[in-house]
Amino acid sequence: MRFLILLFVACGPSPTPTGTVCPDPDPLTLTWDNFGRDFMTRYCTWCHDSSLPRSQRNGAPLYHDFDTLEGVRLTPDHIDEQAGFGPNAENEFMPPGRCPTTKGGALDTNCPKPTAEERRNLAMWLACEKNREFMRDAGVDAQ
Amino acid sequence: MLCWAAPARAQHHHEADTDAASFAAGVAMVAAAFETMLYAGNYQGVIPSLRWANERFAAGASAAAYRLEENGATFYGFGDVIVHGQVTVIGDRAARAGVLASISAPTGDDRRGLGMGHVMLMPALFGIWAIDRVVLAATAGYSRAIGGSSAHEHGMWPLVEPMNVSEVTWSAGGGYAITPAVQVGARVSGGIPIGLPGDNRVIGSLRGAWASGRFQTAAELQAGIAGDPFIIRGVVSTALSF
Repeated sequence: MRFLILLFVACGPSPTPTGTVCPDPDPLTLTWDNFGRDFMTRYCTWCHDSSLPRSQRNGAPLYHDFDTLEGVRLTPDHIDEQAGFGPNAENEFMPPGRCPTTKGGALDTNCPKPTAEERRNLAMWLACEKNREFMRDAGVDAQ
Repeated sequence: MLCWAAPARAQHHHEADTDAASFAAGVAMVAAAFETMLYAGNYQGVIPSLRWANERFAAGASAAAYRLEENGATFYGFGDVIVHGQVTVIGDRAARAGVLASISAPTGDDRRGLGMGHVMLMPALFGIWAIDRVVLAATAGYSRAIGGSSAHEHGMWPLVEPMNVSEVTWSAGGGYAITPAVQVGARVSGGIPIGLPGDNRVIGSLRGAWASGRFQTAAELQAGIAGDPFIIRGVVSTALSF
């Protein structure tokens, strides 16, 4: 039994939804233009870029491209579970330890890491962005 | 007679052992190319195993070490450890049926596609029928994840031995003994997702096996027919019986 318990816990933490909730009404303080684009450019699009072919993505899955807001909207929950901080989890799985110095290049440098505040802002922005998408789909201009 | 099934190896597709032996230690080498919706690449693995069996019971364990290349990144690591047990409930050497079960422990890195990220229970029923030089074997079971993993919620995972979170498993195949020491065979196996999102998986295999003294060696060529488990995979295994 002890062996089985060890196996259960040996894998460490796993990606977990942060549980971040966007305030109602949406304060619109975090947007793609004033936060998301810069965050993704600094920390993510070295590998998660729609211009990169499979062989240059350093393991990043296809359809997980964050160089556009449309790309982020495809997988907001995954981003939250990988890199967001919130009431239920503090996820630091991304960025990884090593990054390329040029987009799509070899992993030849340590990845820059977001601060805790940036990670909280990321989770909040994603939570609000999902609501905005819902509002847009419903025909309401949220911004 | 040669074993229809290879020595226990890190495969989640059920295979019933069809022969009695004492102890066996084996190793399998696997190489595959894959292309799923999100990932493309290849992997190579070394899978040592231990197996014990008598006329009615069998048990075994295997653990794999892989080199995995996915979307331009290369990773090295262990896969999930698998423990296997089986008991013949009715019949004799010519025709028998029973219960088998495997359980995998999440020792592989699920985020890199080397492991499931959770325990997997894989019970099944098996039947074996030997007619002269021909052996037919089939299994049917249900496999279910215990616990969860975000990577696995949306379909088959991991990259190296993909399964659905909840699926009906099945296999059917036959072998023909060209000589007492040489056997060829073919098999199809798969998984059908049940209750949760997933992919229907079908794998076809051609196999040759031969025995020499205490050694049993097999080579198998597998093709992913449905569900993108892999494009093509080769497995070479050998086992020494004591």
